[in-house]
Amino acid sequence: MPGVIGAFHEMDSAYYALEELKKKRLGDLTVYTPTAHHEFDELLARPESHVRRWTLIGGAFGITFGYFIWVWITRYWPLVVGGKAIVTYVPFTIFAFEVMVLIGSLATVVGMFANSRLPRLTATVGYDPRFSGGHYGVWVETTPDKADEAMTVMRQHGAEEVRREG
Amino acid sequence: MATTAAPLPMGEPLGPNVASADVHFPAIKTYEQVDHEIINTMRPTLGWFILLALAILAMLAGAATWTYQIYEGLGAAGYQPPVMWGVYIVSFVFWVGIGHAGTLISAILYLFRAGFRTSIYRVSEAMTVFAVMTAGLFPILHLGRPWKFFYLIPYPHWRLIWPNPKSPLVWDVFAILTYLTVSATFLYVGLLPDFAIMRDREKNPIRKRLFATLSLGWRNSDREWRHFARAYLFLAAFATPLVLSVHSVVSFDFAMANMPGWHETIFPPYFVAGAIYSGLGMVFTLVIPMRKFFKLEHYITLNDLDAAAKMCLFVSMVVGLAYLTEFQMGWLAGSSFEQEYWWNRTFGQWWWAEWIILSCNCLLPMSLFSRKLRRNPGWLFALSIFINIGMWFERFTIIIPTLSHEFEPWQWGTYMPTWVDMGILLGSFGFFFMWFLLFIKQLPVMAMSEFKELIPAKMKQRAAGGGAH
Amino acid sequence: MSERPVNDSKKKSNVKRRDFLKILGVSGAAVSAAACSPEPAGKLIPYLVSPDETVPGVSTYYATTCRECPAACGIIAETRDGRTIKLEGNPAHPLNRGAICARGQSALQQLYNPDRLRTPLVKQAGTWKPIPWKDALAMVGEKLADARAKGTAGNAVFINQHESGSLVEFIDQWLAAFGMKPHLSVEFEADQATLEANRRAYGVAWPRLNFSAARLIVSFGADFLDGWGTSVPQQLDFADARTNFQTAPRFVYIGPRRSLTGLNADQWIACKPGSELAIAQALLGAMGHRTGTSIAQAATASGVSAEVLTTLANELKAAAPSMVLSGVRTGDALEVAATVAEINRAAGNVGKTILPDEPILAFEGISRYSELADAVEDMRGGRVPVAFVRGANPAYFLPASLKFDDAFAKVPFKVAFATQPDETVEQCDLVLPDLHALENWGDAQPVKGTLSLQQPAMDKVFSETRSAGDVMIALAKADPSAARRFPQADYRTWVMEQFAGGPRAFAAGLATGIASGNMSVRRTPGARGTGTAPALEQASGDYYLVTYPHTLFGDGRGANKPWLQELPDPVSKIVWSSWVELHPETATKLGIERGDILEVKTAAGTIKAPAYLYLGIRPDTIAVALGQGHRSRAKLAPWNPANNNNAQNFLQWGYGRYARDVGVNAFDLISATTDAAGGFVWTGTKASITKTGDHETIPSTEGSARQHGRGIAQAATIADLLGGKVKDEQEPLLPGEAPHEYLRGMRAPVAADAQGEIGAPTAADSGTLLGLYDPRNPLGMAKRRWAMTIDLAKCTGCSACVTACYAENNLPTVGAAWQNATVYAVHKTGYNIVRGREMNWLRLERYFEGADDAKFGEEFEGRFVPMLCQQCGNAPCEPVCPVFATYHSPDGLNVQVYNRCVGTRYCSNNCPYKVRYFNWFGYGESDRPQYAFPEPLNWQLNPDVTVRGKGVMEKCTFCVHRIREAEDRATLEGRELIPDEFTSACAAACPSRAIVFGDAMDPKWAVNQHIEDERAYTVFKEINAFPAVVYLKRINHPSPLTASKA
Repeated sequence: MPGVIGAFHEMDSAYYALEELKKKRLGDLTVYTPTAHHEFDELLARPESHVRRWTLIGGAFGITFGYFIWVWITRYWPLVVGGKAIVTYVPFTIFAFEVMVLIGSLATVVGMFANSRLPRLTATVGYDPRFSGGHYGVWVETTPDKADEAMTVMRQHGAEEVRREG
Repeated sequence: MATTAAPLPMGEPLGPNVASADVHFPAIKTYEQVDHEIINTMRPTLGWFILLALAILAMLAGAATWTYQIYEGLGAAGYQPPVMWGVYIVSFVFWVGIGHAGTLISAILYLFRAGFRTSIYRVSEAMTVFAVMTAGLFPILHLGRPWKFFYLIPYPHWRLIWPNPKSPLVWDVFAILTYLTVSATFLYVGLLPDFAIMRDREKNPIRKRLFATLSLGWRNSDREWRHFARAYLFLAAFATPLVLSVHSVVSFDFAMANMPGWHETIFPPYFVAGAIYSGLGMVFTLVIPMRKFFKLEHYITLNDLDAAAKMCLFVSMVVGLAYLTEFQMGWLAGSSFEQEYWWNRTFGQWWWAEWIILSCNCLLPMSLFSRKLRRNPGWLFALSIFINIGMWFERFTIIIPTLSHEFEPWQWGTYMPTWVDMGILLGSFGFFFMWFLLFIKQLPVMAMSEFKELIPAKMKQRAAGGGAH
Repeated sequence: MSERPVNDSKKKSNVKRRDFLKILGVSGAAVSAAACSPEPAGKLIPYLVSPDETVPGVSTYYATTCRECPAACGIIAETRDGRTIKLEGNPAHPLNRGAICARGQSALQQLYNPDRLRTPLVKQAGTWKPIPWKDALAMVGEKLADARAKGTAGNAVFINQHESGSLVEFIDQWLAAFGMKPHLSVEFEADQATLEANRRAYGVAWPRLNFSAARLIVSFGADFLDGWGTSVPQQLDFADARTNFQTAPRFVYIGPRRSLTGLNADQWIACKPGSELAIAQALLGAMGHRTGTSIAQAATASGVSAEVLTTLANELKAAAPSMVLSGVRTGDALEVAATVAEINRAAGNVGKTILPDEPILAFEGISRYSELADAVEDMRGGRVPVAFVRGANPAYFLPASLKFDDAFAKVPFKVAFATQPDETVEQCDLVLPDLHALENWGDAQPVKGTLSLQQPAMDKVFSETRSAGDVMIALAKADPSAARRFPQADYRTWVMEQFAGGPRAFAAGLATGIASGNMSVRRTPGARGTGTAPALEQASGDYYLVTYPHTLFGDGRGANKPWLQELPDPVSKIVWSSWVELHPETATKLGIERGDILEVKTAAGTIKAPAYLYLGIRPDTIAVALGQGHRSRAKLAPWNPANNNNAQNFLQWGYGRYARDVGVNAFDLISATTDAAGGFVWTGTKASITKTGDHETIPSTEGSARQHGRGIAQAATIADLLGGKVKDEQEPLLPGEAPHEYLRGMRAPVAADAQGEIGAPTAADSGTLLGLYDPRNPLGMAKRRWAMTIDLAKCTGCSACVTACYAENNLPTVGAAWQNATVYAVHKTGYNIVRGREMNWLRLERYFEGADDAKFGEEFEGRFVPMLCQQCGNAPCEPVCPVFATYHSPDGLNVQVYNRCVGTRYCSNNCPYKVRYFNWFGYGESDRPQYAFPEPLNWQLNPDVTVRGKGVMEKCTFCVHRIREAEDRATLEGRELIPDEFTSACAAACPSRAIVFGDAMDPKWAVNQHIEDERAYTVFKEINAFPAVVYLKRINHPSPLTASKA
């Protein structure tokens, strides 16, 4: 998918460029920032992340499994120790908790990968190594006819470099 | 990781994006400078090679000792029944304890939005992972038949005899393994954007490829940052209760037994406090030299150390309170078992160990009330060594005096480690430092991408009041 | 021989496969574990084709006679697949009535001793060479011949370890056949003075002592519970008498040192050594006889307050009948014994408590020490052409001052009949390997009217060994003149032919091991009259020196048996070592601490040994036990298991690897003097002690000698008992109102709940059959609760149960110097025990009560508690095990599954009774220095019990293998268990019958009456472990004096 990418060295210029591009509705916008800046999320009005659902489901499964497995185990071959009951829920709660944390947090990570499309195996258009350093990148995914306009917008806001890709 | 700052309200002029007001880095101007200076620390030096060699040597010595012990039998170690647990379990608790500061700093302080964590949390997280790895060795090598350790793991077995879920040792297995997995994951996730930075800065094609793989194709896009922030928040939210639970579970190994000095309800909070305390001690021990040799004084500033020292002081007082509570419980227990045990521990057979811990963990840290000492890295380092020693002996006095002075007077005894115990203890330090030294030269010791949050983003028109001073 | 038709079961066993698997799981011991032990099983059955009377895996029991001491108790040897694996008392025997002491049980370790002689050896140019039997016999025959030719045969000396029975007669006949004089029947421990006094007073050497009739027992140093006379029957009677509370005798012990017997006394009168005579005479005087010694004089002489003596005298007068015993070993021993006999007659005890009509004949015919000394002088004079030694070890037990070695060296030809090398054998010229009593035929006359038979319990361990009797007969046959005296083919035939009733009667008696009848006993020649011992006071030195035969080693025999070395001395609880006893006051005066090496010096010699501070000895006295300190004459490097015994060097081991260089030989201190009865004087000199500055941790199993008021060994006074005030109202040491009540049959309430949960028919476990924990399960395991009671009023602390446990459960001994870790090896004997690594599943704790500030004169008592796994209903050890290696069996056992154990040792940490033991080394692996059962000691191992591997936890199993064997037998015979049809090894051995084992759920078992006893209590009740071992309080009879003071 073709598009235009611009590299800014100042945060505010990238911000205002993005703001105008959004107004002009020139295409899908992606912004690359060396570090997380939620101003851009606000600006682009991104939806709330779905990761939390993964977390919830993972944790819920973990706690259930944690209880189940030990109840099953202890009842499968019941052995009395220390005059204690065979199925003892209090200690099982420890297992339930640990397994919840384990599966819950793993699910969270998986959820994050799934949502943010990681791991990304192919080298894709619209990225520049500078963006992990000090530069802010704006990627407008747009048709060639609108591309020039996007480029001018970026240049106006002082993009260091603007180029077509794809 | 991820931003700790509330997003700017729209319309206001953009200011510097800093975690907390009192943290700022005058010496650091641009993002590029961060990348450049941190990556520079990763160039191997002669001193590093020497240290690494020493660590590996120590590890090998420990491994050899263990081999000997496996062949000879546990009798080679200094066990003297009724003291059936010795240096190994002491060191196990010691290392698990150290493994707590990392998650504390990266997770709990993250939730508390404590800015000074940013410069030290990567180191402490790595320390956590390695310490837990080290700790994990001890329960195995203290076994009478270490080659049968897998009996403790619930795996489907043709006789379908499973581990005993009522035994605190099985709880340990779960707690430790969970903790290891989660903290390792936490560390790796935090490393993703930095891997991307390395990938983009690296010249050497092989290393570049390696970092590219490790970064999983991270691109710093807003989408990635968004989910990343959420995930990181939840991980922190999980890790926080986990870190509290793990050492509580370790404390159950003792609290669940019915021995005087072990059977105490105070143990879980007491152990957690002790763990955090020893962890902080080890953080100082590791960070202060690193700060010096890597020339990171302008990253890990005196303000950071000061803040960490304050926390250390606070925890030391919590620990001290726990000690006093224990004394009082023993005194007022109304049980001659308890009373005789406490007397024997504090003024009798084991007085020296008890007074080592009281002076190292309670008296010396009081010096941190002085602002001058809090801001004196040399003193903090020295103190941290004392804290490490003190915390090792704390576990010693928890385990040995109880076992040597229990209900049955006829079986009262004493304990003296042999060179085997000591060799394996040395080996554990070698193991830990080997991993740590490898880490500090292969991976960025500081979260570059997150650190950038703490320095003002470059602006075209200066925002009033914002920015670096 | 008792055999049961075990393998032909009429009824089909209804044990289902699944049950069977669970039994394996539950019993947990031998079978399954053996299969999984890392060691290859090796040859399981010694036989290829087994003889008719043996069934592989099923024991055969042979009744025979114990020869460890002269008493000649009846024993039953359990033989499995041709190997004797256990000795127990013979219930039919009139003397020991089924009980057996530690020394008796250890006979097995002599039978299987790795240092046993395997072939005849001859000394040529100072080194030993194996020699064929015929050459050996020829050599002896020739020497005898030319001795006779020279006419010096009459001077030949034959020293034999005393044993009653026809062997005495046999040897004398044989000697006579060669024109030699009767042999010396040596028993060094024997109390010659008392024997002589008895002969004079009652006409018999040893009347039976009827403790149960006595109301008061006064013992002048007579240790009738540990070595004086026939310990086992005396212990049985004493325990019975003491627990028959209505008529129980009070027991007063008089002597400078409080021995094991003294610790069992209610009162210890610590008199100066040598002052016993004064006291005895004063007592006699108080009974109206004119003796010329008043109580006051006796008080000044003995350092005992007149008040105490007066009280005793009054008690003696009041008590009828009483029993007064003398076992003093001072120069005037005979006078004391005679006076004591007088007291008994005056008090009218003869015929009531002293029964001359039922004499114990075991001590008849013992040669006096003086005769032995004379023989030594003959040797020194070079008058002795040939000397024979059988069993006895004079080179060890004769005091150094007698210079036996030099005298013995003067004998041109010295022959030893020996089962293993010792100090005497080393010095002989020809060694003829003898059979052990368990391989040999014979008989004994323990008591009047009953003969005790001795038969081989198994084939020879070493084929090249021959019984001395057979050898002598062979020698006689080779000699023309002697041949006609011995037509018999071998000694067995000889024994049977001269036996009362002949071979038929003998064979008939073998089933029970006894036969009625009498045999002639050799009379001991009359005493010479005057002793040679100087008065004690003249001796130079600061402290009286009391030497006494070791409770376990006696005069030194048995020091080569690891069981006995590892068995703590009942008083000092010291193992694998010698020690010098002195009072804490003396120690503080001289600045001596426990373990300081002291140099003890007398006119006769010097020893160095660590100090042991003991309340039970006078401050002006020190005491040293005899029996240790065996040395080889050749200076040798410490024994190293690497070079296993070969015929070349193994004669130079002194008394074998386990005895060599352990402790010191106190005989070095004693000068060779005799009392008027020609007996050896043990307490005849003074000694001076000096600190050497060295220090060692004494290998001892003792942690704290005080209970710290924790109610482990509880006691009550007889007054409270009869007043019904002993019900256990012990305050819980831990606060809290936890329920302390057992359910029926000693079940723990909580455990019962748990079992109910899975015992239900709906339980996950119950498919075709009900859960094992369900009482309705066909196996009925949950219907039982195995329990044990231990009566501390009976227990004398003799420790026979401990050895029984070692023998039954294959417990390794760990104290030998080479059994430490190899690298940091401290080559110190007992080092593993210094580190608390002894493996005694059943240990005997000895606590002191009273005299808290260790002042002399304050009364204190010793309390003995056998402590073993309490098989708790709510066992603290079980829930902490991560791998279910220990759990609760349906019949109430606390099971330990060795091959499941990974060795976290958490169970031991959590055991309040500290009765779990860990395998620190590979004690069962033959290729390790720590190996505890070097060939052929491993022949003794009980096949029903696995030898535990390195790194696993072990503990008392309540002899689970015996339980399962009995249950299986019952199942196969299609019947229920008969109450008390079997018992645990410790209970079977106990010579005071203090231990009772049984099923607490079935009121028909005897154990239940004891559980109901008002003296019953459990240890650490407040921990709520609900132990299955119930202790019965010890009962004290305080002196009227203290009673009035209180």
